[in-house]
Amino acid sequence: MFRGFRPGKLWSALFNSYGFLFLAFLYMPLALIVVYSFNANPINMAVWTGFTLDWYATIFGGAGVEGTFDVAFTESPERIFEVVKNSFLVATTAASISTLIGTATAVALARYRFAGKRFYQALLLLPMLVPDIVLGIALLIFFVGAGFHLSLLTIVIGHVTFLSSYVFVVVSSRLAGMDTTLEQASADLGAGALTTFRRVTLPLIMPGVLGGFLLAFIISLDDVVITYFIAGVGSQTLPLLILAMMRRGLRPQITALAVVIILFSFAVATVGMLLRNRKS
Amino acid sequence: MDFLQIASVHKAYGTPEGTSVRALDDVTINVRNNEFLTLLGPSGCGKTTLLKCIAGFEDLDGGDLILHGRSLRAVPAHRRPFNTVFQNYALFPHMTITQNVGYGLDVACVKKPERNRRVDEALEMVRLSGFGNRRPSQLSGGQQQRVALARSLVLKPSVLLLDEPLSALDRKMREAMQMELKNLQHSVGITFIFVTHDQEEALAMSDRIAVLSQGRLQQIGSPVEIYDAPANEFVANFVGTSNLFAGKVVSRERERVVVETANGRRLASQDDRFAVGDSVKLVLRPEYLHIVGPGQGEPGCVLEGTVKDTVFVGSVMHIHVDVGFGRTVTAHHRHDRADDEPGIAAGAAVRIAYAPAAAHLIAAAGA
Repeated sequence: MFRGFRPGKLWSALFNSYGFLFLAFLYMPLALIVVYSFNANPINMAVWTGFTLDWYATIFGGAGVEGTFDVAFTESPERIFEVVKNSFLVATTAASISTLIGTATAVALARYRFAGKRFYQALLLLPMLVPDIVLGIALLIFFVGAGFHLSLLTIVIGHVTFLSSYVFVVVSSRLAGMDTTLEQASADLGAGALTTFRRVTLPLIMPGVLGGFLLAFIISLDDVVITYFIAGVGSQTLPLLILAMMRRGLRPQITALAVVIILFSFAVATVGMLLRNRKS
Repeated sequence: MDFLQIASVHKAYGTPEGTSVRALDDVTINVRNNEFLTLLGPSGCGKTTLLKCIAGFEDLDGGDLILHGRSLRAVPAHRRPFNTVFQNYALFPHMTITQNVGYGLDVACVKKPERNRRVDEALEMVRLSGFGNRRPSQLSGGQQQRVALARSLVLKPSVLLLDEPLSALDRKMREAMQMELKNLQHSVGITFIFVTHDQEEALAMSDRIAVLSQGRLQQIGSPVEIYDAPANEFVANFVGTSNLFAGKVVSRERERVVVETANGRRLASQDDRFAVGDSVKLVLRPEYLHIVGPGQGEPGCVLEGTVKDTVFVGSVMHIHVDVGFGRTVTAHHRHDRADDEPGIAAGAAVRIAYAPAAAHLIAAAGA
């Protein structure tokens, strides 16, 4: 029975089980929430009482909320839809603006020499290191002081301040890996700076630019702390709504919502991975 | 009439330590129209810097570049009528071969039919017709090289700049490309400025060679001039190998100049550009040294010694001979199967002779 079982195999078996346990550690909570989202037990999620899709129905509006156990604690599909719409609007706008700013900054810092470049570079990384709660309070003080009415606009502006740094980092690494003689070659063949950027630099750093956009999009979509401070009445985002729902207790509807968010995140991550693997 | 003048060009680089390095120090070259000019030198000699200055990728610190009488100093790289073939080819990886070759024409807004015709011609010229739809990564090194050539030549530049374009190729491919490049230069009639550190490549391809060392122009001339009449010790040692004897000119009559070394050795030459008393170095190329029998060889043009070792490299035998006073001389003995090889082996006593015309004199360093 132990024929051919050498110490090497023992080690490899140990390493394999370690790898398996690590993955389990990472994904067990996610798996659990998926299971709970299909549990018909409305009060105690840990006790399985049967399979149901009701919780999903309460999100998408397929079944009436009236039928569920605790109507008072369940958000209407209309409300959820509105909040999701807010979140996507903020994430798309903030990620787009951040991508423009972050990419332009990365190109400027990678390709041009100017005074104070090092200092500028360090300043750009700071927003990522400042604790969210400090940044949130600072932004709130700024908006109130400047007379802004807190709304989706203030959320977008607030998100752009730190998302630009993320895009900058992602695009910078792509630029660092790019052969600068390609840009010289373009100039040599008669192309001015703008043509060179449009036809050579941009296509070659595009995976980085898209990657930066996706990262910014995802971070914006799930940001709670900063958004909490700078969101006004009527400009709630999805994470803020979930936080509010949680105050009334962990209800099955939240688990279903969580599963939808997990699936969406996986989809975005997959697109990001495909982009990264393409031509590199 | 001058075509492109490189006039007293200076360029210095700052180092991280805060000092500055002279990459180009007062380099002046008059480039002729339609010539194949090679910038030759060891790495760090400034040859690539000079090429980048001509292309416009680097600014000059001093001096000027004058094309047809007009200064190029204020002209940015993309407006200069020069094109470059880069060492790593720098083909655009996200474009097809056709798009790469057509890039310069597209940027210049050349009309589609003409653009396509010229791209086809250029690809045909480098024998890559039918490769148009491939990507650079699908081609071999030699093919990528030819695409880079086509991409530059399609724009009909006044000067084509080539930055060690053959260094990434293996030996056989490199020799084939050398001939191809030279033929191409003849057929398109464009001035080529070619950078290399390979002296054989320079000798084989060039109309003229400019030898650079430590940012300074050492000598410029035809390959034969550079090889047979090196201007100084650096050129004598860098282009081919040389046996050098330092000494003073002690007599100079008719076609016979005699140089005496510090330890009394007297060697003759026909090079009469120096006066009696001048400190000089006598240059003897290994292939001009012959093994001769007793009594043979012109008096004053013979060295006697013992063979230290021999290295057989195929076409010739390199013989290292100890000629006394701690000096070793290298002679290239032509190998001939039909011959009875004379007793050339380590320890054998031999006589080496040369023709007085083969001995070239250069000024001793610092003299």
